[in-house]
Amino acid sequence: MIRVEGLSVNYGAVRALRDVTFEAPTGQITAVLGANGAGKTTLLRTISGLVAPKAGSIFLDEKALVGVATENIARMGVAHVPEGRGVIEELTVEENLRLGAMASKVNLSEGLNEQYERFSALGERRKKLCSTLSGGERQMLAMSRALIAKPRVLLLDEPSLGLAPQITAQLMRVIRDLCENEHLTVILVEQNAKSALRIAHRAVVLHLGSAVASGDAAEVAANDDLRRYYLGVVVE
Amino acid sequence: MDWWRSFFRQESTHSRLLGVAFLTAVTLAITIVLPPVANGDLARGAAVAIVILGLSWLIGWSGQISLGNSAFMAVGAYTAGIWARHHTTTPLILTLVLAMVFGGLAGLIIAIPSTRLRGPYLAGLTLAFAAAVTPIAQNFTSITGGEGGIFMNSLVTPHWFGQLFHGTYASIDANSQWLADLSVVIAGISFFFMANLFHSRSGRAMRLVRDNDVAAELMGVNLSRARSSAFMVAAAYAGVGGALYALLQASVTPETFPLTLSITLLTLMVLGGIGTLSGAVIGGIIYSFSPDLVARVNSLTGVNPTSNLGANMQGIIFGALLILTMLFVPRGIASIKTPIQKLLRTRRPRPKLPDAAEVI
Amino acid sequence: MSTFLTSTFMHNVFGGLAQGVVYSLVALSLVIIWQSTHVLNFAQGAMAMFATYIGMTEIDRGIGYWWCVIISVAVGMALGGVTERVLIRPLYGKPEINPIVVMVGFLGIIEALAAAIWTSTTRNIAEPFSQIFYHANGKLVYLSPFIIFQIILAIAIMLAVAALFRFTRLGLQLRASAMAPEVSRLLGIRVSRMLTFGWMLSAGVGAIAAVITASATFGLFPTDMDGIFVAGFIAAAVGGLESPIGAVAGGLLIGLAEQFILSYWSPNVAPLGGIIILVVALMIRPQGLFTKTAGRRV
Repeated sequence: MIRVEGLSVNYGAVRALRDVTFEAPTGQITAVLGANGAGKTTLLRTISGLVAPKAGSIFLDEKALVGVATENIARMGVAHVPEGRGVIEELTVEENLRLGAMASKVNLSEGLNEQYERFSALGERRKKLCSTLSGGERQMLAMSRALIAKPRVLLLDEPSLGLAPQITAQLMRVIRDLCENEHLTVILVEQNAKSALRIAHRAVVLHLGSAVASGDAAEVAANDDLRRYYLGVVVE
Repeated sequence: MDWWRSFFRQESTHSRLLGVAFLTAVTLAITIVLPPVANGDLARGAAVAIVILGLSWLIGWSGQISLGNSAFMAVGAYTAGIWARHHTTTPLILTLVLAMVFGGLAGLIIAIPSTRLRGPYLAGLTLAFAAAVTPIAQNFTSITGGEGGIFMNSLVTPHWFGQLFHGTYASIDANSQWLADLSVVIAGISFFFMANLFHSRSGRAMRLVRDNDVAAELMGVNLSRARSSAFMVAAAYAGVGGALYALLQASVTPETFPLTLSITLLTLMVLGGIGTLSGAVIGGIIYSFSPDLVARVNSLTGVNPTSNLGANMQGIIFGALLILTMLFVPRGIASIKTPIQKLLRTRRPRPKLPDAAEVI
Repeated sequence: MSTFLTSTFMHNVFGGLAQGVVYSLVALSLVIIWQSTHVLNFAQGAMAMFATYIGMTEIDRGIGYWWCVIISVAVGMALGGVTERVLIRPLYGKPEINPIVVMVGFLGIIEALAAAIWTSTTRNIAEPFSQIFYHANGKLVYLSPFIIFQIILAIAIMLAVAALFRFTRLGLQLRASAMAPEVSRLLGIRVSRMLTFGWMLSAGVGAIAAVITASATFGLFPTDMDGIFVAGFIAAAVGGLESPIGAVAGGLLIGLAEQFILSYWSPNVAPLGGIIILVVALMIRPQGLFTKTAGRRV
């Protein structure tokens, strides 16, 4: 479980996050929603240690994460797939995956096979440079790379960005299946509120850095005010 | 207060002219009271300031790093030397113009391969050029006079000048003051042109090329032409400065412009403040007084000047200064806001425009 | 056969290769540091020289040649590591000019320090292998056991480095840390350690180049490594900063070019040889002759 309490983050004079508090329960998908600039990416980056908060705390189960170096947070089992996916283009698919497994104790060849089975397209392109991959393939790779280390927590920053609706739907199904099968804690940042709320168990809505709503995903989805002001999308 | 402020910010050609003229006049006045040795240092400092200014334009405003400006100085110096050897009656101005032209040409030639490169590749290429100067000067003996170099006639102090300062220091050695004044005036003229360049459309275009070349292209700026022109201007300035430097000591040899000079230029520019007029002035001043400074450090630390350590103290100090400046005060001394400057700042918040020093 | 080996042409080939090997090692060290940190160490030659000087003073105390080499390399590596932590570490995230300028300053200070500590005269060390040229049919072949040793050494190091980067876990982490430091950290890779290690490795290889120069020539003058650094840089640029093989090939090419220009054209133009090659190569193929990735990283 990830617990965030009173988190405030500043970029210079700009308050990116104000006193944000919520819980992402173990084994569930928590969607983090809101418009551009609401602070969603900042939230993930603070959890994974790339950004230091001005105030507040973050707990992975009972372990405090604030002040811990990013690489160590990763080694604790927190996998962050950043905005833009972070696929290293100058390396091959397999090299990217090997990197993912590097810091964990997972058996490399087993891990690779597992990921290739799960995403056959990757298996076909394993020796190819990542600059040749399509958007959907890159997303697959980024997720595989995160999963190969068998993390406990998965932080996903706008995975559907730039992907066609069908692929997005597939992607969301994959995320949901993973969460159920591997009992992962998933924090899913999305601008596409509709797709996210379909698979999420819980939801947090950010607006200009503050958490304006948090709770059961279905309740958040049904709330008219939220829909109108912050989600910008009518959810069925 | 407004016209005062706009004067200091030099927003019109008029104010720039006045500003430069004022500073030049003040400096000339100072040369009257300086002893001959100090005047000699000052003159050389002025020559170096001109070179630094050109370098500042290149690195600070167009964002291209060059470690090779000592090579352009050499081109200007040798041009002046070769010409002076055969034509002893040419007025100084023409010699300098010639040096400027050849310097600019050299800049153009080097710009052709250079402007395709960025970052370390560019630095390395320019380093290679700078390193090639000494061997070339040593080897092409027929043109450059080889190891011995070229000796020129010293610049002659006009009669009226000696008469003018009868009774002051200058009567002891009018020559050194003449040289100092000459150098200061030439520097002043160079600074005036550069100030205009900073505030012109070319200056703005250059900043855009430096910061966002995609945007620059979209606005119709020809990138390679802009970058090449920056090289040419810097090289022309270095040519003038180098020629002046050589004329001041009435000789030029292969040892006059070694690779370490390029490093020194860089250090002075960074210390003074990259991309600014005042930075170049500060750099020139530091250069003038560095032998003095080094001697002070030697005596403070009790180091014997003739020992190994003493002889190399300048290299050590300059290297250390460069490193410390880059780590702690990357925009140089000119960026340290004095109380006077703070007083002159406008109270209305203005949108922050990127200035020359955003490169570092 | 023996007339061929003693011909002027082969004299030049061997001479060029011998010098080219040193350039290759410098180029290799630059490739290492570029591949692992995306910074170019302009003080590389000077640092290598400094480390070698320390090794050479140890020789005065009566230790053998090989110990001198080991000490020089070890000092070089330590120097590289310390430099990274103290000088380069504060500059990550700042404009790319900053580390270049700092390294140039470092270059100045090291050379001055070396001259200050050890005087500005040359020092040399006794060679481990004979430097006497072979004979064939009574004429000289410009090859000696030492030169052969150099060439084998350079190739061995190049293969080792290429293997390190391409096939090992460490190599992959080094490359990733330079290409995408933030993403690498998110994957749990200790990026800062990788960067330090990259500098150490690079400095070690550079030190070997300086040691060879010290043995081969009449000694090592503090500013000697300047010219060698420039040539090594050109070699790396021509070969492409991404490729260890390119670096070695570039170094040998430059060595050969300089030698041939010296012999067939004129000694005057020889220093320009490297520059000419660089300019030509970069105009033909700006990303270097051996790089795979398209376009040069800005």
